[in-house]
Amino acid sequence: MRARRELAVFILAVVLLACGPLISPLVHLDISILSEVLVTTLAVLSVNLLLGYTGLPAFGNAAYFGLGAYGAALSVTYLHVDFVTAVLAGAAAAVAGALILGPFLLRRRGIYFGLLSIAFGEIFYFIAYRYTDVTGGEDGMNFPRPPFGPGLAHVAIHETQFYYIALVVFAVAMIAFRVVVRSPFGRTLIAIRQNEARVRYLGLDTDRFIFVALLISALLAGVSGALFGLLINFAYPLELDWHQSGNFVLMMILGGAGTIWGSLIGALIYVIGKDIISTITPLWQIFLGALFVACVLGFPRGIVGSLGALRRRRPVDPEDPVSSEAFDAGAPVEVGRGV
Amino acid sequence: MSEPILLEATDITKAFGGVRAVDTVSVAVHEGTIHALIGPNGAGKTTFFNAISGFTFPDHGRVTFRGTDVTRTLNWRRITMGMGRTFQTPSVFPELTVDENIRLGVRAHAKQAFRLRTPGGAAAAAVDARVDELLGFVNLAAQRERLVAELAHGSQRLCEIAMSLSTEPVLVLLDEPMAGLAEAETDRIVAVIRDLRQRLGLTVFFVEHNMRVVLALADRITVLDRGKLLAEGSPQEIAADNAVRRAYLGSEVLERV
Repeated sequence: MRARRELAVFILAVVLLACGPLISPLVHLDISILSEVLVTTLAVLSVNLLLGYTGLPAFGNAAYFGLGAYGAALSVTYLHVDFVTAVLAGAAAAVAGALILGPFLLRRRGIYFGLLSIAFGEIFYFIAYRYTDVTGGEDGMNFPRPPFGPGLAHVAIHETQFYYIALVVFAVAMIAFRVVVRSPFGRTLIAIRQNEARVRYLGLDTDRFIFVALLISALLAGVSGALFGLLINFAYPLELDWHQSGNFVLMMILGGAGTIWGSLIGALIYVIGKDIISTITPLWQIFLGALFVACVLGFPRGIVGSLGALRRRRPVDPEDPVSSEAFDAGAPVEVGRGV
Repeated sequence: MSEPILLEATDITKAFGGVRAVDTVSVAVHEGTIHALIGPNGAGKTTFFNAISGFTFPDHGRVTFRGTDVTRTLNWRRITMGMGRTFQTPSVFPELTVDENIRLGVRAHAKQAFRLRTPGGAAAAAVDARVDELLGFVNLAAQRERLVAELAHGSQRLCEIAMSLSTEPVLVLLDEPMAGLAEAETDRIVAVIRDLRQRLGLTVFFVEHNMRVVLALADRITVLDRGKLLAEGSPQEIAADNAVRRAYLGSEVLERV
């Protein structure tokens, strides 16, 4: 029942998004902005897995996002690879980064995990900033968008094609993310957020779970960064900076921590909001900041999280089969945080 | 004490800054016994418990469990070796249901926690059966779909005990299982602790303040005072011990024995 409803929501969302190129001219929105929404959602999911589900302050995920962007930029510039290979190179760079940083981050918890994540991100930022000969330094790297790749070596990717590629990647990532968070592995991550000591006292090595969560998170951020670089044909040091990490956290909180759809909603509001408001006033950050404050004060669970909580507020009688089914569907599965 | 030793702590010392919270304390817990650790506030009971369960490591001393030196063994590994533990304030997953709390432990023990797919068939049936069994043991079957945060304090503690049993331990460490409970709830927990040994054949080592409970349950009692071992013996011996009387027990408690 619940699974079928979720599938319906998913299909509806993908169909709606597939109509994006038809709708966007009507609302004077560039199709590349919609691509940016989908690509950014992946980075928000990556923060969500660590922060929203596992409870680790992932304040440095821009490091993996930037490694993805630079991985794509460097491989296109110096190795002349195709689109698919560039995305894979970006993802591999991000996962390699997490493999190196992971052992250092693994034993840290709470604010120390957050601060160390930021510090590591800044190291990558300064490498990109200073290693001018290879990365272009502060000016960043301009690079052409390569043709698609295997079997389609000569197919150029224009904005609409890019959007559909991003949509496919987005759909796959959403399904994979749901599989992960609903699996016994994902349940254990949620348990770690609630009470890590108890998880250890169930005989589980929580470091191992956190390390794998970090690798999955880096993979998502790396794919996101690589696609973002290929979208704007540009990689620049600020993609690695902690401001960027902060934006991902902000989008996650806006949409709803620990909710799958919250990541899309957060990215949607932030990216489109930025696009619209920044054409009206250069002070767009003030308005987004105000929105963020209003959200934290009014809907601390984020938009999707608050909607889920609202739906669940109806009184539940465990003896009543109808309402107890509602109870089953609501609270336990999404850990009281909405869909 | 003819039964073999299950857990042996030798000369355990743990200091915080300049304060020796536990000072060269040795305790042997024998198989199949209910062993109590008592002492006034600040005697070092929880610190000692943390050192033997791997929550912290002792500065000096040795812990052996089932004949293996576990002094520096990580806590999660001790659980896989057959130790279970509860905490002073119930350590549970408040936003999950009772069923899910216990299921996590059962899955961990069945080595399913790391999987990306929920196993079906016989493996799933075995997990379901074990969850039902544990829920029945602590009598929480009726509340299985409730969030643990919504339960009464005593029921949360029972849920925690069931979780500590989900990993199929041979030794259960209970840190003040009656703290903050009403009389009626205390009686429920006392019955469960008794069942741990009688029905499940487990060894229990517990910290407790409530002397009525300790004297009713324990086969053997260890008394700590200001970090040092003060006395050890049967309930009768402890109740008659003058040093214990002075340090800890009010004389009116003893008259009731």
